[in-house]
Amino acid sequence: MSTRCIAFFVTVITSVLWFPGLVFSQHEHHHHHGMNVDADGMVMNHNATELPLDCAEISSTYEFTVRVGTSHASLPGVVFGMSQHEFAVAPCSLVTINFVNEDEIRHQFMVHGLPMYLYPQGMFHLEAAGGTERSGSFIVPGDDQTYLIHCDMAQHMEKGMKAQLVVGAGSGDLWSVPGISQNFLNNSGLGTVSRNKGVLGALLVAIMAIMSFLVLLYLGKGEQNGIE
Amino acid sequence: MKKTGKLAVSAAVAASAIIISIMLIPPQWYSDNLRMRLGEWFGAPEYRLPESASTTLELNPDETEEACPEDLAGWRNEAVIEQVTIAAVPGCKADNPYAVAAFVRGTNNVSEQTLMRSGLTPDAVVKGRDLDGDGDPDEIHIRLEVVELNGGSPESGEPVVQYSIAPGVTPGLWVFAPKMLGMATENFESNRAREMLRSPSPTIRVEEGDRVFITLENSHYMPHTMHFHGVDHPFLDGNGEGNDGVPITSEMPVQPGQARTYEMQPRQPGTMFYHCHVQVQVHVLMGLQGMFVVEENRPNNWLQTMNIGAGQVRASSRAVREEYDSEHDLHYTNLYSELNSRVQQSNDAEAITHSVNRLFNITEASSDYFLLNGRSFPYTFQESLVVVRPDQRSKLRVVNGGSTGIALHTHGHKVTATHFDGVELNSASRIIRDVFWIASAQRVDLELDTRNDGLHSYGSGVWLLHDHQEQGVTNDGIGPGGNVGAIVYEEFLDESGWPTMYGEDWSQFFNPGYYRRPVPGGGEVISSGMLLRLIALGMALGVAAASLTTLFRVAFKNR
Repeated sequence: MSTRCIAFFVTVITSVLWFPGLVFSQHEHHHHHGMNVDADGMVMNHNATELPLDCAEISSTYEFTVRVGTSHASLPGVVFGMSQHEFAVAPCSLVTINFVNEDEIRHQFMVHGLPMYLYPQGMFHLEAAGGTERSGSFIVPGDDQTYLIHCDMAQHMEKGMKAQLVVGAGSGDLWSVPGISQNFLNNSGLGTVSRNKGVLGALLVAIMAIMSFLVLLYLGKGEQNGIE
Repeated sequence: MKKTGKLAVSAAVAASAIIISIMLIPPQWYSDNLRMRLGEWFGAPEYRLPESASTTLELNPDETEEACPEDLAGWRNEAVIEQVTIAAVPGCKADNPYAVAAFVRGTNNVSEQTLMRSGLTPDAVVKGRDLDGDGDPDEIHIRLEVVELNGGSPESGEPVVQYSIAPGVTPGLWVFAPKMLGMATENFESNRAREMLRSPSPTIRVEEGDRVFITLENSHYMPHTMHFHGVDHPFLDGNGEGNDGVPITSEMPVQPGQARTYEMQPRQPGTMFYHCHVQVQVHVLMGLQGMFVVEENRPNNWLQTMNIGAGQVRASSRAVREEYDSEHDLHYTNLYSELNSRVQQSNDAEAITHSVNRLFNITEASSDYFLLNGRSFPYTFQESLVVVRPDQRSKLRVVNGGSTGIALHTHGHKVTATHFDGVELNSASRIIRDVFWIASAQRVDLELDTRNDGLHSYGSGVWLLHDHQEQGVTNDGIGPGGNVGAIVYEEFLDESGWPTMYGEDWSQFFNPGYYRRPVPGGGEVISSGMLLRLIALGMALGVAAASLTTLFRVAFKNR
């Protein structure tokens, strides 16, 4: 638990320090990871060799071909679809993703929350221009954990491009993964909250009344039992 | 305890609890009749000083934003990047100069380092051959995506990919945006949009005679098109397909995930306009609109193909530099937040389509936010000041993309109209005035002459520049707000680019609380005294109810 807290802290600090202008310098310092950019997209933080600290060896290898685009939007409300929304792997395994973009626009395959010491910003990231493919690999740590996968273009996660990477038993489903878990908020979930003071006040009075009523009855009962 | 004793105690407790309850009922809850009656019986209550004798707005100082954040990256400075001379920005906030350089040279012609620092993809603005042999590229291929700012999320009550038009104001917006690599937000922990993802859609600049290709890569969940208003373009493109961007006459819209390329070779220069032509009463007002400038052909004329967020042009064309000392793109528009908020209320694309196209009725709605270059006052002072020096000439290109006209007024100056809708006026018909009526979609090129002759200029100062229809200078009816900008003489700017002013305290305008309307029926926080009173009332009622229950139980038991 404490390691997770430290990891979170490190993530926050590093993210604050990080901004797009620094990406290039990271490229220079982490020559074995970094970014590989060309006209059709990029691969960021590819890692097929270096083990996470809690892994003695690569336990197994997985290869997934994930196809994305409007043609894969099979669920109601989804616009940008993915051929699969869950990727289950064993701890300490080597995962290779073949990301096939069947749209005519950019899409991304971004995994978050990986160890920062191996993956700058905790990310593994594939980005493919319309009609192109990108492949890359990463090695997952040894603990049971569920990681977020999404496309970070505006509204693409909200409109379907959200998935989860379940390592081992995972740490529970993420919210709002199409076909996997329920939306945290329903469709009208962003409606305005009534701030009517009268309603709040009345509610407060009712709660206090019920509480003191129950407490007193309970005390009274004890007294009665004592008499009888 | 004896039964009678118990009865007496219960009755006493119940009676006193009831009396206390009645006394604790806040007087505000009494009916008017009861108050009158009590006044008659016991006399009117004594005079008390009102709790707050003034109507001063109480703002939480912790919410106050910095009026002019320090330019840590040095983006305001004059720079030469990729052999492109980029003018200094005297005002507070400046565009990314690396992006400016990439727009001038073409994203295919700059170093990897410049491209990374611009954030653009290598194919965002591709510049090709020099067709007329005059030293500048004439084949221009621009790629635009569609980005939703302040959209809804199934997991957060807060809008995502946030872009504030004024402190605390985040209406849902759709914009055309340059093609950029990576995330839509500043970083993974941040919910704020990257600085190049903003309103309005960028000003696009091409040269007269250029072969222009504009690819709309529809990365949004709604169908869109592009219509080039006033720009010389054929109705059908080279493949015989519709090229006018109008779904009812020229082509089917570009569906989500699809792309389409528009072609043109404009023969006439001028300040023009572009916008989406799908359900225009929704899509144009959601922000899918930008300025389009066709510059006069000159030799060796490398143009800043995009001006992000409009405003000061940092690398002007040769023709503009021949006549003017500075150039500003001023894009005015207005919003209907009732429309803009609809995209935040659902996560289902079909439900949103139904909501904006069928449930929203523009003929019954009223406009409540008024923007200059994608922001409202006070943010307009951070990035859209027209900064001048005495005895200079500045070119102001003005487009009104909104649904109502604007009465653009210049304090301290009378300006000269040189072009209407991109067409140059001859010298006899050039009008000098201090209010210009600019109808929807109209463009006016204005010459701002700072010679202090009592006509063109009344001298140095901080002179407002705003719509003189009074709703236009408010944020949802609260002033000052709206499209208020200013013409500022450089001697009135401090080091950071903030004007030296002699009026009201501006920190209040940079506090979101200033623009928050009180909620009808009381949205204020319950005072601590009132809170205690309500808690005590609740407890007294509970005690009364409990002792009454005990009273009845004891009374009717063992009868």
